[in-house]
Amino acid sequence: MPIRSTRGTTPGGKGRFPGFDVLDEVPRWDEVTAGVVLARLDPFPDHSFFTPEEFATLRALLDVLLGQREEPRVPLARMVDQRLALGETDGWFYEDMPPDGEAWRRTLGFVDLDARTRFGRPFAELAWSDQADLVQAVQDADDYHGLPAGHVWSLWTRYACAAFYSHPWAWNEIGFGGPAYPRGYKAIGVDQRERWERQEVDARDPVPWAERVEQARRIHEHGSTGTG
Amino acid sequence: MRLSYSSLRRRNESAWLVPNGGTGIDDRLRAGMRRFEDDDELDCVIVGCGAGGGTLLQRLARAGWRVAALDAGPFWDPETDWVSDERGSHRLYWTEPRVLAGDDPVPLGSNNSGRGVGGSMVHYAGYVPRFHPSDFATYSNDGVGADWPITYWDLLPYYEAIEEELPVSGQPWPWGHPHEYPFHAQPLGGNGEIFLRGAAAAGVTARVGPVAIANGRFGHRPHCIYRGFCLQGCKVNAKASPLITHVPDALAHGAEVRSDSMVSSIRLGPDGRATGVTYFREGAERFQRARMVVVAGYSIETPRLLLMSAERRFPDGLCNDHDLVGRYVMVQGAPQTAGRFPEEIRMYKAPPPEVTSEDFYETDPHAPYKRGFSIQNVSPLPITYAEHVAAQGHWGEVLREYMRDYVHWATLGALCEFLPLPENRVTLADTADRHGLPVARFSYSQCQNDRDLMKVAQGKMEEILKAAGAEETMTIKRYAHLVGGCRMGRTPEEGVVDADLRSFAVPNLYISDGSVLPTQGAANPALTIMALAARAADGLVAGSRRGLAPGD
Repeated sequence: MPIRSTRGTTPGGKGRFPGFDVLDEVPRWDEVTAGVVLARLDPFPDHSFFTPEEFATLRALLDVLLGQREEPRVPLARMVDQRLALGETDGWFYEDMPPDGEAWRRTLGFVDLDARTRFGRPFAELAWSDQADLVQAVQDADDYHGLPAGHVWSLWTRYACAAFYSHPWAWNEIGFGGPAYPRGYKAIGVDQRERWERQEVDARDPVPWAERVEQARRIHEHGSTGTG
Repeated sequence: MRLSYSSLRRRNESAWLVPNGGTGIDDRLRAGMRRFEDDDELDCVIVGCGAGGGTLLQRLARAGWRVAALDAGPFWDPETDWVSDERGSHRLYWTEPRVLAGDDPVPLGSNNSGRGVGGSMVHYAGYVPRFHPSDFATYSNDGVGADWPITYWDLLPYYEAIEEELPVSGQPWPWGHPHEYPFHAQPLGGNGEIFLRGAAAAGVTARVGPVAIANGRFGHRPHCIYRGFCLQGCKVNAKASPLITHVPDALAHGAEVRSDSMVSSIRLGPDGRATGVTYFREGAERFQRARMVVVAGYSIETPRLLLMSAERRFPDGLCNDHDLVGRYVMVQGAPQTAGRFPEEIRMYKAPPPEVTSEDFYETDPHAPYKRGFSIQNVSPLPITYAEHVAAQGHWGEVLREYMRDYVHWATLGALCEFLPLPENRVTLADTADRHGLPVARFSYSQCQNDRDLMKVAQGKMEEILKAAGAEETMTIKRYAHLVGGCRMGRTPEEGVVDADLRSFAVPNLYISDGSVLPTQGAANPALTIMALAARAADGLVAGSRRGLAPGD
């Protein structure tokens, strides 16, 4: 089975390290780690934890949270569905929240309800900017349909980030070296690079740009809903 | 002090009992392990095989005791069970259900909750600082916290012994009680270089270490390969955990480690002494007899087990006559500040534990708050770093752009000494786990002193990073480590256990884990937990408690 069809795949084709492919190093990984990581490149099974309606909402929500507008996309929804189906939660839950699986089901229902109330259509069928507006409103809220919005946001982003940044395509995007056993590292100081690590192109401080985007996003959302 | 291999091997052979130059654990040692029957009356049964339980197991086995450690998790083989991957290491954590409450609830299940043989030291960073002498008398000195029933000097010989057994590498230590380490410091990655550069420019003293990784081979354990996955379990066998520093020697001296065994209660006889423990294995509940029980399940599970063991004599939980079981649990405030540099840092390379400053550890007489904090390197891998970025409120394309900049950021973490408060406690929730046992409910709220320290520590980390040339900084508020919950004290009104870790209420019940700490300093707790266990073992082996030693 081929490990991949194209070299150096990144989500949406974005990234600062053109030509860098963490999978070039697979022969230098231990077998146990290789098994775990390469399994993420296999097609994930279709959903089994969520209902079809929940799953459609989940997919759209996770893609908005991670900015996945174009193919190739990391299959976030299938990864989260599989995780919950296997019961791989962190175990703990806030006293004012249900356990993770139930919290996901309920909040996906709320997301869809909000979409239908405000736009008359399911969340998964909304335009990207309308989906983003609804997501921004949750981040800015204190209460979300009776649940503490901060804990809802934390649940969503924890699962979304854990799925996305476990995927080798995301590592290609950010220049992360991936598994390192038994190979290890030799060039470990400031501005040092292993022979197989790539120099980035178009390096820039993300902060000023991020501030502009987030300001614009909030003005848009507040302007269109009138809520704080 | 020069490390002598021959004298070390006379008291702990573990580093020579792992496969020579290779990794994993010795299959013959595990296959040939002594196995007791439930009906065998052990000299001692230990609940939990981490820092406190594993160390005690090795000491008692060396002394010829018939002893077994029951651990709820697996008996890990680093070669086949652990991966060089962040997401794939989820299984290292205790992920049974727990309920979080309070004004500042503390997430569990990752950096602060271990599972399996080796305990949390399997996935700790590897920092092993000593506590300062002042930590043992914060109430007398500063009017906060509590005084310990022992002093730093009581623990000193055990600190020195454990530092050799792990072993510890680091530069000579100028803070607290100044001391040296058996191994010289490790080479630094970009993250550590930035810390030293910034500290020098900001006038802050910083030192490399103290890290439980030998700078070189150690016995049969290989040299560190600077892989950067210390928090995912060291596949190399370079970073110390009881799995390789104490369990091998314990097995070679006739101890049993019974994994996948979830202890559900401690049983008492009519004379009020413990008679053994009930435990679940493969779905069946069994009973292991023992002449003495040691609980070593850490700050959540140890109180939970005592509370679950309530009976006629102890209706509110075993050893809970004075409402102390589960109280005074502490976490350290552990804000992390990342700074952006024009250079490439690539903090994922080299072990995350690198450089420390304890300049701010002691009470500042001019400050409105008491006690202090330490600063250390931390090196979040992509998932953890994404949580750091997301905590700033970034999501979508903005989150992605920050993450594309990952190679430019260096990260520092503080450990703030949060104070022990009675309402920060473990109780039993009204929900049950897969065994039908009540789930722990952990409530946490900070006091003003805690919040003050977090704020000052963040400012100091920003100052150091900017002095090193950082263009931007961003901070995530988080927590690290757990201690307290069954504090030691001078009297039964003051503590659950005494200075020798023996419970006041049940003469043959001991607690040997982080839950006995009355205060926590601004230090990572692993070394102190091991030193306390080694000290308690010395007392038991010397027969200071006549009537408990084998043959009596």
